[in-house]
Amino acid sequence: MDTAVVAKDIKRTDLLQMYYYLRLTRTLEDRITALYRQGRIVGGVYTSNGMEAISVGYASALERDDIIAPFHRDMGAFLIRGITPGEVIAQYLGKRTGPTKGKDGNVHIGDLKRGVIGFVSHLADNLPVATGAALAFKLRGEARVVVTNTGDGGTSRGDFHEAMNFAAVRKLPVVFFCNNNQYAYSTPLRLQMAIHDVVDRAKAYGMPGEIVDGNDVAAVYLVARQAIQKARAGEGPTFIECKTMRMHGHSEHDSAKYVPRELLEEWKKKDPILKAEQMLTHLDYADEAAFREVGERVQKEVEAGVEFAEQSPLPEGPEVLEGVFADEHEVKP
Amino acid sequence: MTTTAAGREVTYLEAISEALDEEMSRDERVFLMGEDIGPYGGAFRITEGFQKKYGEWRVLDTPLAESGFVGAAIGAAMMGMRPVVEMQFADFISCAFDQITEVAATAHYRWGAAVPMVIRAPFGGGVHGGPFHSECPEGWFFHSPGLKLVAPSTPYDAKGLLKAAIRDPNPVIYFEHKFLYRRIKAVLPTEDYIIPIGKAEVKRAGTDISVITYGAMVHLALEAAEVLTKEGINLEVVDLRTLMPLDKETVFESVRKTSKAIMLHEDNKTGGIGAEIAALLAEECFDCLDGPILRIAAPDTPVPFSTPLEEFFLPKASDVLAAARKLASY
Amino acid sequence: MPTDVIMPQLGESIAEGTIVKWLIPPGGRVEKDQPLLEVETDKVSLEIPSPTAGVLTEVIVQAGQTVPVGTVIARLEGQVATGVVNRVSGVVVRPMEPSPTGEDHYSPAVRQLAKEHGVDLFQITGTGTGRRVTKKDVLDFLAKREPLGVRREALGETPSPRALPLTPHEEILPFTPMRKTIADRMVKSRQTSAHVVTFFEADFSGIGKIREAHGLTYLPFVINAVTRAIKDVPILNSSWGDQGIIVKKDIHIGIAVALEDGLLVPVVRSADRKSVTQLAKEVADLADRTRTKRLNPEEVQDGTFTITNHGGFGSLFSTPIISQPQVAILGVGAVQKRAVVVNEAIAIRPMGYLSLSFDHRVIDGATADRFMGKVKGYLEQSKWETLL
Repeated sequence: MDTAVVAKDIKRTDLLQMYYYLRLTRTLEDRITALYRQGRIVGGVYTSNGMEAISVGYASALERDDIIAPFHRDMGAFLIRGITPGEVIAQYLGKRTGPTKGKDGNVHIGDLKRGVIGFVSHLADNLPVATGAALAFKLRGEARVVVTNTGDGGTSRGDFHEAMNFAAVRKLPVVFFCNNNQYAYSTPLRLQMAIHDVVDRAKAYGMPGEIVDGNDVAAVYLVARQAIQKARAGEGPTFIECKTMRMHGHSEHDSAKYVPRELLEEWKKKDPILKAEQMLTHLDYADEAAFREVGERVQKEVEAGVEFAEQSPLPEGPEVLEGVFADEHEVKP
Repeated sequence: MTTTAAGREVTYLEAISEALDEEMSRDERVFLMGEDIGPYGGAFRITEGFQKKYGEWRVLDTPLAESGFVGAAIGAAMMGMRPVVEMQFADFISCAFDQITEVAATAHYRWGAAVPMVIRAPFGGGVHGGPFHSECPEGWFFHSPGLKLVAPSTPYDAKGLLKAAIRDPNPVIYFEHKFLYRRIKAVLPTEDYIIPIGKAEVKRAGTDISVITYGAMVHLALEAAEVLTKEGINLEVVDLRTLMPLDKETVFESVRKTSKAIMLHEDNKTGGIGAEIAALLAEECFDCLDGPILRIAAPDTPVPFSTPLEEFFLPKASDVLAAARKLASY
Repeated sequence: MPTDVIMPQLGESIAEGTIVKWLIPPGGRVEKDQPLLEVETDKVSLEIPSPTAGVLTEVIVQAGQTVPVGTVIARLEGQVATGVVNRVSGVVVRPMEPSPTGEDHYSPAVRQLAKEHGVDLFQITGTGTGRRVTKKDVLDFLAKREPLGVRREALGETPSPRALPLTPHEEILPFTPMRKTIADRMVKSRQTSAHVVTFFEADFSGIGKIREAHGLTYLPFVINAVTRAIKDVPILNSSWGDQGIIVKKDIHIGIAVALEDGLLVPVVRSADRKSVTQLAKEVADLADRTRTKRLNPEEVQDGTFTITNHGGFGSLFSTPIISQPQVAILGVGAVQKRAVVVNEAIAIRPMGYLSLSFDHRVIDGATADRFMGKVKGYLEQSKWETLL
């Protein structure tokens, strides 16, 4: 990313804020991984290690009343929407204080009050839902936008096609992100699609498409901001492909031996936090001391989150039976 | 476009249309999505004239993409709208099975998000529709916790249940029987009324055998009841109206009285709703039974096309008469 | 390796059995074929031998309980039973069409109603398939019983006619299965047949000498006389059927045997084909095995005429109850020396009264008397030496 552009188009405080969230995301997910390796977390652990700039980038470009319809590598977006580290760890530990009260696990976090649509494990199911949310805004004449995200694998499903098509036909205020981290579990891109750039598909639906360096938070932010503004102005959807690399396995139990070592080494040099620090240093917005300070800050926050989660109670068996249906009073009649 | 006039006789189809019209007038959050529902008025003409009245954004012609537009309905519902999705035929609901069972049905349970969405599904056979225009898919959804399912058998129930479904904060699949569309009529009240979801109705009181049924089969049961009355066999016909949640109390009350029960539905026999009710009776009403619980349903095959095959496939009056006579004399 | 002990099938049409008592305590040792428990059905009471040697580790069904044939009632820890085990596969499944002994099949609704209203289902004639007692049959019965229109279908208190509180002067004897069966059968028989009794007197002196010489009782002689009289008047050996009176060619005589707490009626099959000595032997054996509970279920089935030897304790006359579906029963009173007129002079003769209860639906008085005349004649005038 051209630092001159960054200097011009992004406020220093905003960039520092994004750096903070990159660090918070990384530290939180590292802590969760450690808990998992200690056997204190059961079930699956999915991180966005090496891909933090995508979620942080787009979520930083949203307004308060906008909505996100994320997938499982969007921890940065959760944090920016106001989900706390304590809640995230509580969710992982299956505690009653997590956003789903133990009903669902790992990153299946949803909260309408904070504008987060809870997703399901079936990738790309969240895309039609995102278009529907955008449809509601359009019907009501609200200047709100939905940003949704999925992986390279997610774009193979029919729901991707149906959502992109519908959004374009109806010019809905939704922005489609694609975290192209080159692997869907063990499936490399070349077995997932016959094209090289997912963005080629955008044209087929009649919507504009962008490619961006997914490890450059400033670049992602700028592209996202532009697309979001467009949507907000009633100009319809955009598809944004973020090129990145999945640095850990599909989940933390996957050693990902199928990924060539050289690829990982190459992308390690392009680590999003590293890149952000380089950018901030170059722009003279921050220094080593500042980075250390942020590091300490996020460490404290994450530890407080761990303590909160560990003190929290587990739900009790009979709670299984609660909440299948909504009551009348939960929605306006 | 139907306009309500005091005490006018309407068909089952018109009752559905009226319910949609009235709810859309009453609540601006209600909007429709489906294939060909706009200028065309819908495959069955239920939304004829609606787009002219409510505009193209409240009567949306969708692309041919059931998963996509059901998913969209879910998203819109989460944002506070009240979408009513029309499946052109219930048979196509399978394309949206994933969104319905994984996203809509689990959202509130998992993260407290209400999904006040209605999916209208024209189901049932007897119209020479063949395997993909005559299915009864309610069984699949009966087994997915988090969904409500209704199946009216009369114009009065059709209107009242659709209104209730639209006003319910949960995802509701509304099974309207296409065979009944123009075949039955009734005079409906002009005032607003709803039929509560989760309440069955005894359509015919009797003393000897309880026939538990829904949809078009209600009328089959009533026909059979008339014949059997002359033979001294007095059927009680219980119309479930809501399939999920089941009104166990009304069913149990009936079978406690008659001590004999027949399940009657058009859906395939194995794993149909009749099986669940039979199990409930055996489990919670065992001491009230004076005979085995019988089930009359379609055989376990796809719906056939050729007329003699479809006639054999669908439950008919003679099936009900034979079963009732056998059970009565047991 | 544990061995299952199962409720055996104690007769062709029998579907369940009641455990009367366990003869081995839990944890006790038992040898192969050693009696392990006592089981009763409405037809017979039996000791069940252990299928294997071992220790009774688990008693699953307690005494007093009734379970379907094939139910695992206990477990033995010991060798696996070898040889033939009387096992019926699987659980008894109640078919849609009840078994021909329809009166034994009660649906849950019927049982519940009966329990609530204190109704003995044996009293009710069934109108359902296979003569099943239906809910309607019970309700109709109750309506007749409670003529003020009390048709009580609601769950609630059980109105018990015996619900008087016990005084210190009273004691309860719990019902045994046999007592219940006898009670039900007796009442039902009275309600079915039109009982009439005719009394005859016979001179047993002709039998007397032969009897003593061979160490026999009067009973085999009576059986012989009865079978011959039946041949003369076959209608005494019949049953009331749906389409007419079924006259039976085989003569199977039931002999009532008194037990400590009830009675059973083992049957001497084809009694007309057996000599007096054979009859005596068989009767003695049946009586013995009845008292020691070693009868086979078939041995209490298929009787066509019954003789009850009520004179054993001094009874002179009796009005016995017919054993359904037979049409007559002969009571033999005590044989006592009495002063009677013979050839215009007083003689001392061993006399005994014979009481025939007969079903007037089938047999008219004159026919009954004709039969009895034959019995008397055969008893008094037979050349018994030739019939031994």
